[in-house]
Amino acid sequence: MLHSLLAAAALGTAVPLAAQPAQEAQGAAPQTATTPAPDATTEAPRKRIDIREVAIYGRRPLKETGIQRTVIDSTALHENIARSIADVLAFNSSIFVKNHGRATLSTVSFRGTSASHTQVTWNGMRINSPMLGTTDFSMIPAHFIDDASLLHGTSSVTETGGGLGGAVKLATAPVRERGFGLRYVQGIGSFRTFDEFLRLTYGNDRWQSSTRIALATSPNDYPYRNRDKKENIYDDDRNIVGTYHPVERNRSGVYRDLHLLQELYYDTGRGDRLGLNAWYVDSYRELPQLTVEYGDQSRFENYQREHTLRSLLSWERLRSRWKLSLRAGYIHSRTSYDYRTDRGNGVMAQMIRSRNRTDTFFAKADGEWSAGERWFLTAGIAAYQHLVHSIDRTVSAPTEGAADGSERRVAIGYRKGRTELSAFASAKWRPTERLGLSLVVREESYGTEWAAPIPALFADWLLTRRGNLLLKASVSRNYRFPTLNDRYFQPGGNPDLRPESGFTYDAGISFATNPEKSWSLKGSAAWFDARIDDWILWLPTVKGFYSPVNVKRVHAYGIELQATLDAALAREWQLTLDGHASWTPSINEGDPMSEGDRSVGKQLVYVPEYTASLTGSLRFRTWSLLYKWCYYSERYTMTSNDRTLTGYLPPYFMNGVTLEKRFAFRRLDLSLKGSVENLFDEEYLSVLSRPMPGIHFEFFVGITPKWGKKAGK
Amino acid sequence: MPRLLRYLLPPLVALLAAGCMKWDYGRTEAVALPEHGLFVVCEGNYKFGNATLAFYDPATGSVATEVFLRANGFKLGDTAQSMVVRDGVGWIVVNTSRVVFAVDPATMKERGRITGFTSPRYIHFVNDRKAYVTQIWDPRIAVVDPRRFEITGYIDCPGMTFETGSTERMVQYGDLLFVNCWSYQNRVLAIDTRTDRVVDAIETGIQPNSMALDAYGKLWVLCDGGYEGSPSGYEAPSLLRIDAATRAVERRFLLPEGAASELTLHGDELYWLDDAVWRMKVTDEAPPTAPLIESRRTHYYGLTVDPASGEIYLADAIDYQQAGIVYRYTRDGEPLDRFYTGITPGSFCWK
Repeated sequence: MLHSLLAAAALGTAVPLAAQPAQEAQGAAPQTATTPAPDATTEAPRKRIDIREVAIYGRRPLKETGIQRTVIDSTALHENIARSIADVLAFNSSIFVKNHGRATLSTVSFRGTSASHTQVTWNGMRINSPMLGTTDFSMIPAHFIDDASLLHGTSSVTETGGGLGGAVKLATAPVRERGFGLRYVQGIGSFRTFDEFLRLTYGNDRWQSSTRIALATSPNDYPYRNRDKKENIYDDDRNIVGTYHPVERNRSGVYRDLHLLQELYYDTGRGDRLGLNAWYVDSYRELPQLTVEYGDQSRFENYQREHTLRSLLSWERLRSRWKLSLRAGYIHSRTSYDYRTDRGNGVMAQMIRSRNRTDTFFAKADGEWSAGERWFLTAGIAAYQHLVHSIDRTVSAPTEGAADGSERRVAIGYRKGRTELSAFASAKWRPTERLGLSLVVREESYGTEWAAPIPALFADWLLTRRGNLLLKASVSRNYRFPTLNDRYFQPGGNPDLRPESGFTYDAGISFATNPEKSWSLKGSAAWFDARIDDWILWLPTVKGFYSPVNVKRVHAYGIELQATLDAALAREWQLTLDGHASWTPSINEGDPMSEGDRSVGKQLVYVPEYTASLTGSLRFRTWSLLYKWCYYSERYTMTSNDRTLTGYLPPYFMNGVTLEKRFAFRRLDLSLKGSVENLFDEEYLSVLSRPMPGIHFEFFVGITPKWGKKAGK
Repeated sequence: MPRLLRYLLPPLVALLAAGCMKWDYGRTEAVALPEHGLFVVCEGNYKFGNATLAFYDPATGSVATEVFLRANGFKLGDTAQSMVVRDGVGWIVVNTSRVVFAVDPATMKERGRITGFTSPRYIHFVNDRKAYVTQIWDPRIAVVDPRRFEITGYIDCPGMTFETGSTERMVQYGDLLFVNCWSYQNRVLAIDTRTDRVVDAIETGIQPNSMALDAYGKLWVLCDGGYEGSPSGYEAPSLLRIDAATRAVERRFLLPEGAASELTLHGDELYWLDDAVWRMKVTDEAPPTAPLIESRRTHYYGLTVDPASGEIYLADAIDYQQAGIVYRYTRDGEPLDRFYTGITPGSFCWK
């Protein structure tokens, strides 16, 4: 294992963590960026330059054979306490993030697929809503995640089934510091936004404890020019004598999100590790009014609440050639939605009262065995037991058999349980030094239904050691079962839905090089081609509700590019550029729904054909400058791809910049940071009729007392 | 390294500073619609704010889409539900936007707007000074002054709350106004238009969704029957004949299982949708056994009959996410023309 750590070698940076036994067991070098670049927000301010590690493999990790993975750097994750994973993905990947506004529902489109085609795991446990199949990335604070990576297409089969677009793998990790640690950051920003973050840590040779608390509040009433409306100017006789686009404020956009994450790790020192993770979310978010809303905001209340606890117990046994891990988890989530109106006398009357409760019990066992130099075998099984009680609304209905016409309150919803099993076995083989082959077979069941086995085949070929030029290819079949809402939602659920299924092919090339000690470059390019049958779509009915049907065949294909440049420009100057771009046609190739259907052969709605993002970070001594940029091409909102005035969303660029200065005092370290979002004050929309904020600012103060802690274990 | 940066930085800077989102609406166009024709109210998608209004000229076969937006430079709103033209003013009820727009039906220029609703559905004019606006999610019918564009009062509807409030279409019989109560309801209310009070309630089938009053004083009410699992019950769709004078239910025709909607009257003939297009005479004593126009994997969502020619106009929402298509047929069901409109064409208005 030739592990080149430029900065550490040249400039004496923080010592990376000891390579973990499991990685040794795999006979593998660490993945690229396995050792995270030091966290800008937690690092003691010293005069030094940290250049990100570039892994130059003497031997490629067998475990990663053929895998297309994007690792989100920890500096991006921990750049700012106000960021959610949605914000991080927007600027650090080629995934399209669909924002319904600031601090509102944010879902992703991975490789041109829909939000439910991206599976999300947290410490190995899938956290997609069992009711909706989706994940709201705006509800995951980036500061609560220590390791994040994207598994593209086929590669997601190694982690979970159902990821027709891919998987987002999120994890926490122990700090590995001795003694007590504390860090407090407060952010004060535009629109009376307050962000608080506190982290308490304690560690010794055996124990590591971390407590993180984040609280974000804001009326979120940002101003915007409403181009969907015109206000009239009337004369005394109520004749319109003029019009203008009003500048309005985002109405009903208040949010208050509290997150609490407790972690406890115990390391026996003999290769056994125990972990406890508990993440509690208490969220209150109003649902902002549309740009085309003419109602008086004060007459309505429209908000959702969420209480979620995700908890996980884990045990790992690491030996020189094998690794065994067991996990048990429990997710409890209560979400509510209330929609009320003023009766006209100041008393609010309920219009919709929606209550959902989900309980998920989770168990997982994984094993890895390094069988000599050439073979690496893994197997695992995961079980989820979901219990869902969904009440969409409550109405009054006549009491059956009652002659007096009395009424009873009736909940409209469903109560269902479903057991989901997912088991896999894989064999990775390196017959020659340059060739790696991997076969993964996954089998899944949902309730009483079993999917046909999901096979995935991976291969890679080291073309040349110079530049570590590596060719990769993979193919897999995959399924996504209908969610519980798809099947049972009242009204409209369709118990006859079939699972979505498809084949995905991937091929790509990657490289990593550092021809001079002062800079390094790595990158990759991948082509993919996926076909998905029985695509599920919710369509309206004439009875006033929506119902899902298997309607489409989708052909999603394209190219993904990424590159990272790390450079020491001069003494104490460091530059990092990280860029991503993708071209993702996602075409409806189904049969016409009727003779008038013009959607066949057209791009799916809300899937941009092109996306790109770039972050550039420049560091000088205790100064850090971060520039972020992303681009989304136009998104159609009509399946026929009509460019009507209401039919598509124009492309947009988004820019942000952050400047940080760190100070070192005798008793504490201080960090001052200012960030500007939407730097050029663009008027833009991510989703029709959902206003986005213009330029806005936030200022952060971070305090880290020095309690004599020592880094390293 | 500096050499590398020399190549990298200029395009990067250019890229970062490039372009902004281009807004290509906000401008207004001169719209001139012919004197006679058909407005097609297109709901759009719920919460997308992409409702539109199209206009079709049967004489020339020409169609103009997004006429409200083009004429006024702003969007019609979210979930346009219905439209009425009265005395040279078009009134468009935009449900989720909680607004009723008044427009000049020739130029489509806005004349005024009424706001303050909870969730408006249909508008009916009692006289020049008074109109009623039905609502969902509200047990009250709004009384409006169309000259001042103001809500002047409410009619409380018994037997419903804000959770179950649903008043829909209105049909006037003398001083009496019939209103069908649809969502989770099973009644038609009778309102005295002189006092703005509910004076009677007629029990119907489950979820009456549309009505028509024939020349013989018979009120026809089409009920969709609800859905399986509904707390209000679930039954086969039905067509009721009610005597408007006595308010007694005279006949109840059971229809095949399906989703009956859009009851429309032309002369002595009733038309409705139930996957296909069905027709029967008001004097018939049994419902038809075969449809007039078959479904062809279509999602029929709107229906109207030309009051002058008797030609049938049938809206197919297709997948509800593209411009829906309207088919024009002779009164015997022979195809004549077809044209694209906007997303989810749901209702029509003749002028």
